[in-house]
Amino acid sequence: MVAPRFRSRTFRRIKVKTPGNRNTIHYRLRKPAKAQCGKCGRPLQGVARARPIQLRRFSRSQKRPERPFGGVLCSSCTRDELRARAK
Amino acid sequence: MIEIGRVCLKIAGRDGGKKAVVVDILDNNYVVIAGETRKRKCNVNHLEFLNKTVKIKKGASDAELEKALKSEGIILRKTKPKKAGPRPLRQHKARPMVKPETVARKKKTKEAKPETGPETIAKPETKTEPGADTKTLNQKEKAKTSKPAAKAAKKAVNS
Ligand SMILES: [Zn+2]
Repeated sequence: MVAPRFRSRTFRRIKVKTPGNRNTIHYRLRKPAKAQCGKCGRPLQGVARARPIQLRRFSRSQKRPERPFGGVLCSSCTRDELRARAK
Repeated sequence: MIEIGRVCLKIAGRDGGKKAVVVDILDNNYVVIAGETRKRKCNVNHLEFLNKTVKIKKGASDAELEKALKSEGIILRKTKPKKAGPRPLRQHKARPMVKPETVARKKKTKEAKPETGPETIAKPETKTEPGADTKTLNQKEKAKTSKPAAKAAKKAVNS
């Protein structure tokens, strides 16, 4: 019988083939939601989608785009913002 | 709009938000810029051309650029000239703390075992009452020295 905490769908299920040639289900925590643009709400490209513990393994440039407002605004909104600030 | 000396704003990439001046025009899509950004080739789509121009000639030197850009309040970013000759080999960071720690822990466990051994054997001898049988004494001693021996002793007592 599965442990009670694994009976809900809070955990995602992964089918794993064990070395003993048995198919089992492993339970992992779900990924967090995709990062979104703070202005228009579009999903952001190039932003790592992982738990904070896994994010700790990544370098800074692996976590978000290397540009002003990287990981906060989408590329088109960044352009608008930079144009507005220059004036 | 696109001409040599046109002040522009870089909108894309890591130089985004920095001002520069068009130094050279390569073709319809690409120009060379210099200023707050690195001196570099740049796609026209990544630039916002402003209503200002600076008087420079094609292939202007750094000193000339610096003078011209001062009027616009742009500080020229200078890059170091590349060193001639082969690149120096990368020196890997030493990892001093990992191996010694593991060695030290192993040593501690080795030292601990012989110390505890004789003590446990020595204690029951003092605690046992003088009236106890010699047979039971031997069994007790065996039980504390080794685990398999202890199991055997228990079986003997039960039977
Ligand atoms: Zn956006």
